[in-house]
Amino acid sequence: MTQTALTIDNLGVDFGGFKAVDGVTLTVEDGELRVLLGANGAGKTTLMDLVSGKTKSTQGRVFLHDTDITNWEEHKIARAGVGRKFQIPSVFKDLSVRDNLKVASCRNPGVLPNLRFGFGKQANQDVDHVLELIGLAEEANRLAAYLSHGETQWLELGLLIMQNPKVILLDEPTAGMTQAETHKTSEIVNSLKGKHTLIVVEHDMAFVREIAERITVLHLGQVLAEGSVEQIETDPKVRAAYLGSKGIS
Amino acid sequence: MSDKRRFEIAIYLAFFALIMCAPLLLDPFWLNRIAKYLVFGMLGIAVALSWGYAGILNLGQGLFFGAGAYMLAMSLKLASPTSLQQGSDKPVPDFMLWNAEPGAPTELCCITKASFLWLPFQNQWFGVAMGLVVPVVIATIIGLIVFRKRISGVFVSIITLALVLLVRLVVIDAQPVTNGFNGLTDLGWFKVGGLEFDPFIVPTYYFVAIALCLVLAAARLLIETRAGLILQAIRDDQNRARYLGFDVTLYQTFFFAVSAGIAGLAGMFYVVVSEFASPTFMDLTFSITMVVWAAVGGRSSILGACIGAIVINMISAKVSETEGFAEAWKVVIGLIFVLVVLYLPRGFAGLAHDLVDGFLGRRKAISRRTAEASDASQPAE
Repeated sequence: MTQTALTIDNLGVDFGGFKAVDGVTLTVEDGELRVLLGANGAGKTTLMDLVSGKTKSTQGRVFLHDTDITNWEEHKIARAGVGRKFQIPSVFKDLSVRDNLKVASCRNPGVLPNLRFGFGKQANQDVDHVLELIGLAEEANRLAAYLSHGETQWLELGLLIMQNPKVILLDEPTAGMTQAETHKTSEIVNSLKGKHTLIVVEHDMAFVREIAERITVLHLGQVLAEGSVEQIETDPKVRAAYLGSKGIS
Repeated sequence: MSDKRRFEIAIYLAFFALIMCAPLLLDPFWLNRIAKYLVFGMLGIAVALSWGYAGILNLGQGLFFGAGAYMLAMSLKLASPTSLQQGSDKPVPDFMLWNAEPGAPTELCCITKASFLWLPFQNQWFGVAMGLVVPVVIATIIGLIVFRKRISGVFVSIITLALVLLVRLVVIDAQPVTNGFNGLTDLGWFKVGGLEFDPFIVPTYYFVAIALCLVLAAARLLIETRAGLILQAIRDDQNRARYLGFDVTLYQTFFFAVSAGIAGLAGMFYVVVSEFASPTFMDLTFSITMVVWAAVGGRSSILGACIGAIVINMISAKVSETEGFAEAWKVVIGLIFVLVVLYLPRGFAGLAHDLVDGFLGRRKAISRRTAEASDASQPAE
């Protein structure tokens, strides 16, 4: 029997009369990979902002397993087990790739417990493992600022893997990537399936086909449809609102 | 241990050795001067820690320096011989007499309004403790408010700048307790056990020099800890750090307070070697000058900022005393600053880093090439 990892119940936010997300209800099972689709302005990123605490919601609730995490501060939500990758890749630019991952490996978030040297053997092994996984072992000692756009995206994925949250929110992980880079990203994302619950916002249909299990389509801040790739492809409402007449190609 | 790390330790040790040997070469006048510059070096460390490592450009570091200085100066003022000659058997600062209302009793408790605040400072160690506690507490309060509100970048600079000016104004205005614009002068000597730290004797120099070495090593080790690395991560991208679960406010406040504590300590040492405390410590120009030291020396290097402060002060002392430059020395300093900012954005420490990297990189390449050459010269079996 599967458990629910993330429950979003009638969640919404009102930006002075404009409802960017308007009563979204969504449940994501443990270990599931859910893709969020939707045209520009459908509320995908705002939904992630609401779940991860960047934006405070004005209605509804968010549950991580059984914990109500609605409108907590970001770092508390993160500690409860929600990790997030941003649309614009954000890493620690003036630290080496290895140091970036070391920071993410830190399990104890307080100041005083961290007044000690070294991150421990286990963390160093994990860092090496993640470096292999994201294919940046060769670049481990370079400053993150000198990485290419694609590599920066992978490093940010690596930070999330190190952080090891239960639920991972990925906002357009392939934005601006070449085809080969997109393919590698889908391999990384696929390797996370099962271990983590993933919610992915993505526009790149080739990528969606490579990773998707279930898709939720948002339109004007509301859930329009939910189902497998085939179901979504053939859903007339979705076609009308977003995909156009050609379907997923 | 990497070559670079060994190199860095060697440079630190060389610096320690150099300042320890200074008394062999200098007369008491210059020794006292250098002791002051070492104190400024401590301020450089404080600025590098908050600006270079925490990304907080504090334009009001003088507030913490001044707070530390005044706290100790109050104790030393009471230890001054003149404070005992004001017609009471307990010490009373001379300026309080000048500011007293006619008929006020010549007692520290009630000679002027709020003069009772001085009572606990009769114990020198109370002054020392306050010299650390006051800056740290002020910084913690500022930090918790400012960083909790997620104020960052130039706005923090503006707030700190306004605060130092505000406090300066209050200190000048509270003439009956602080001697206002004149500051606290004619101080007694700092005493530890039977040892009196006359500013012009060699032990006083060593007192400051050893303190500087300890602060330098402690600050360097502090940024070497996990928390130090996390702090640098926060500097690079607050949001990312927040989403990894770190309470950014606490980290920023902690290091802001540590920086303030170092500045407070520097303020106390400055009082020991210069024998006065004055509102000029909280002048805007002084706080900005500290930032210039750190920028020239290299704000992302603790040692760089420290040496920057010492060397710039030595240069300005030399230049300002050279005939012909007596008026123009500020132009010389300004020129150095402009050139460094234009051509060495990471300061001289950044330049040194690159040189060391280049040197070590070349050596590695050479050793690799010789290794390959010897491999190739092995006769085939």
